[in-house]
Amino acid sequence: MRKIKWAFWIIVILFVGAFLHYELPRHDIVRITNTYNRLTTIGTENGWAYASPDTGTAESATTRDIRFIEAVFPDNTVIVYRNEDTGWVWPPYFKYDSSNLQAMAGNLKSTEAAPKWVSVTKYGWRFPFLSIYPNAISIKEVAGPDVTIIPWVPIIVLIVLAFLIFMARRMWLQFWERMVDPAIAEAEEAQDRARGFFGRIGAWFATWRRKS
Amino acid sequence: MIAIIRLAIFGFVALSVVYWLVSVYSRSERREKLEKEFDAGGVEGSRDDYVSFGMDHYQHGLRRKLIVLVYIIPVVVVVVTVYLVNYQ
Repeated sequence: MRKIKWAFWIIVILFVGAFLHYELPRHDIVRITNTYNRLTTIGTENGWAYASPDTGTAESATTRDIRFIEAVFPDNTVIVYRNEDTGWVWPPYFKYDSSNLQAMAGNLKSTEAAPKWVSVTKYGWRFPFLSIYPNAISIKEVAGPDVTIIPWVPIIVLIVLAFLIFMARRMWLQFWERMVDPAIAEAEEAQDRARGFFGRIGAWFATWRRKS
Repeated sequence: MIAIIRLAIFGFVALSVVYWLVSVYSRSERREKLEKEFDAGGVEGSRDDYVSFGMDHYQHGLRRKLIVLVYIIPVVVVVVTVYLVNYQ
């Protein structure tokens, strides 16, 4: 039983951790090498990692033109971002300037000989197996490949989430203390009273029986 | 455009639930505090009067009005996010 409990909590933590890792913004320091559009067909296995069909840049649920940004890390590994609107629900980035972002990315393209390093804010994962790409949120030119960027947004979001969980727990405990416990106590009292009444009848029957 | 309206409607409904939960919680906390104050002794009059007087104060106090922030803060966060993502 304890093992099942442990397994359950480990699975929950893994899921929540993966979810947060996917949805929260992260920074990449890269050099942009190419920007383009490509007609892309989305299947059921990777549809969850693309914009929902009712957002600005997603014309259709299955096949759509998607803007991509190719980039290189300082260690020469590559990354491909998609550049799609997020729409107005999830994930809550409320991004609708994909065209502008694509223009900025094109403007910041550079060669290895004369590199321009940029910080790309993105969320999501690159899984070639599923053909999914992180979504670029914003691009900013930085001084060099070694700058450190403090991830303020994830820090604040995680603190707020912890606070909300703490408050939800307090509210639940307060509800239990003030509403459920008194109700249980009252029910038990009522049961005791009932036992007293039936107890008296039983006693009365007992006396009657003894007489006969 | 439809998506914004949908977000506004669902957001309003969800935040109303949160508002209701928070106001019930806040009232419950205040009532408990008043009861404990009375039970600690040194207060004249009946317990019910003391608590209902305190709750009346709470109904018109600042603390209850601050719960409106449940609506305001998310709207501000959305506006700031829209600005930072699209206009920076």
